[in-house]
Amino acid sequence: MNQLVQAIILGLLIGGVYALLASGLTLIFGVMDVINVAQGALLILAAFLAWSLWHDAGIDPLVGVVITTPAMFVLGFVMYKLTVQWLSGMPASMSVLLTFALALVIEGAMGLAWSTTYHAATPDYFDESYRLGAFYFPKAQVYGCGVAVGVLALLYLMLDHTWLGRAIRALSENVQSARLVGVNVRGVAALTFAVGVATTGAGGSIISVLYPFLPGSHYQWISRLLGIIVLGGMGSLPGAVVGALLLGVAETMTATYVSPRWATAVPYMVIMIVLLARPQGIMGGKLREDVVV
Amino acid sequence: MRRIVWLLALLPVLAAFVVAGCGGGGGETTGATGGGETGAASGEPIKIGASLPLTGDFSEPGVAAQQGYQIWQQLVNDSGGLLGRPVDITVKDDQSDQNVVVTDYNALIQQDKVDLLLGTFSSLLNLPASAVAERNRMLYVEPAGGSPEMFSRGFKYLFFAQQATAEHQADLFSQWAAGLPADQKPKTAAYVIADDPFGGPVAEGIQSQLEAAGVQTVYSKVYPPETTNFDAIAASVAAKKPDVIAQGSAGLADGVGLDRALIKVGYSPKQLFQASTPSFADQFSNGVGLENTEGIFYAVSYHVDAPTPGNTDFLQAYRAKFNTDPPEDAADAYAAAQVLQAAVENVGSIDDQTALADWLRANSVDTILGTLSWDDTGAPEQAFLLAQWQSGDEEIVLPEDAATSDTIVNPKPPWK
Repeated sequence: MNQLVQAIILGLLIGGVYALLASGLTLIFGVMDVINVAQGALLILAAFLAWSLWHDAGIDPLVGVVITTPAMFVLGFVMYKLTVQWLSGMPASMSVLLTFALALVIEGAMGLAWSTTYHAATPDYFDESYRLGAFYFPKAQVYGCGVAVGVLALLYLMLDHTWLGRAIRALSENVQSARLVGVNVRGVAALTFAVGVATTGAGGSIISVLYPFLPGSHYQWISRLLGIIVLGGMGSLPGAVVGALLLGVAETMTATYVSPRWATAVPYMVIMIVLLARPQGIMGGKLREDVVV
Repeated sequence: MRRIVWLLALLPVLAAFVVAGCGGGGGETTGATGGGETGAASGEPIKIGASLPLTGDFSEPGVAAQQGYQIWQQLVNDSGGLLGRPVDITVKDDQSDQNVVVTDYNALIQQDKVDLLLGTFSSLLNLPASAVAERNRMLYVEPAGGSPEMFSRGFKYLFFAQQATAEHQADLFSQWAAGLPADQKPKTAAYVIADDPFGGPVAEGIQSQLEAAGVQTVYSKVYPPETTNFDAIAASVAAKKPDVIAQGSAGLADGVGLDRALIKVGYSPKQLFQASTPSFADQFSNGVGLENTEGIFYAVSYHVDAPTPGNTDFLQAYRAKFNTDPPEDAADAYAAAQVLQAAVENVGSIDDQTALADWLRANSVDTILGTLSWDDTGAPEQAFLLAQWQSGDEEIVLPEDAATSDTIVNPKPPWK
């Protein structure tokens, strides 16, 4: 029983972090039909930035979020203006090609800047835990999950209560109508892409504390994140959160009760099952079914 | 949808083009910079081809291995070359991908028409790459690929340039643990095993030897090498309270991941052995925290202070070029090139690759890892060193004649 509860605790904590990581990916897809395969590479780039801030300037990686987030926002905006905007009107598959190329470029650049060795930010709390009775709550995961919840809440408020948020949602529902009611489609798309990339600022900072990483680490992250947003419903933010929590718990339960060997296969099994049983995902709107196929 | 599938299928091909375009030249500089050494090499260079995981999961050791090859090329060219000719190593990037590594070695042999081959890094990549060399009847000396699978295929041109295969990597540790006095001898052990052709057999080797010595196995599970989150595993292991934890780790991240997860759950075993992770020097100590490294065991092929033949030259050249001490993987690559060099120089020609292989099978070679010799399958017949982190440094503790420390920290102190 203790083992079960502990597995659920660990699963939910890591699921909260996954939710943040997946949010940017699903936001970008929902609004502009771009599958940003470079999101994993951007995440690792943000992790390197957070590591440098911690290593060279002594800034705690989780506090460094206030620096890495705007930095990634600007980078996302520039990336959109230089490359992604030319995808407009092309099928989503083209975006996979383009962003995969971007991911390779970013991986190479990180190798040059930080070398291909492992880096890990180890602030005091990185290996400490809170204890409550028989259970333990790793501090890094608790803080990481807290930051993730905070950033997700801000993102949700932005989408729900600001003009930009309404424009983003309008764009994700129907581009033509949005344009008709006066939404500057290009401008909003650029901002959405930048916001989506900005979420990697917080996500990467958390990763830098949780796991050692190197430039090549992005492949495993992008596959997990794609699994989450397919599960949740591509383009759906609440879906990404639910998908992430489910995946986090499924991974820890599998590692505890079946075998760790199967835990990393969980995202792929999830994708297969979802595509077979409910192609639009848990919270994907029927409207989006055309692009989920 | 169909289009997406097609495009996804094309991605690796695209990636291969991108990387070939960037790295095709290999960025190699021949060491013949007119250093004025005696007997400078002259004539047509001997072309040596290798593919290494310069990007992707194994990029860390892959780049280190490239450095080892570079240093060897530099030292050979500065001292008159190989058979009087300069050597020119071409290194392709296989992106840690089994398919790309096959393409690379085929291209090296058929398009670049290299004279000699050197191996790649990891059993995972050497398994398919060595098959390409075997099919083309070319000598294949590899620096890192000790999985038993490598040597079960009856290959004639394959040689592994380290001291022992994976299942014997931890022999000294198992013997030491099994031979402890009754009041200290471990009673239970947990094995956390990477699904990796090298890391896996290391842990399985310890498990079979400790079980034979009466140590009860309380946990033994396999995980995929790309696992980063070890919290669930550590919680399960800690619940069993094993005396020994032995991890057949595949690289750095999975070993650091388990240590961190054990620290977080608050469980410290009496003896902790990890296959290769603790050999990553400061990357390891930075990852788990220097004060947490105390007492952790690992097996290692190379130590910078080793009094092995040629080690001072290697160290001097490596430090001059890279301003740091060589990692084990660089030393292993250098040793592999030394083995190739010994075969070529003793046979006196590069025309008959079968003669080179026959010579290696019949002789032993002095390398910076010590003297190496091989059985009929190309598996080495020596023993790894047993190392342990002590007071923030890596020390060799066994065998006694190679030890750099005369104490063994036991039991492992609790995490800080």
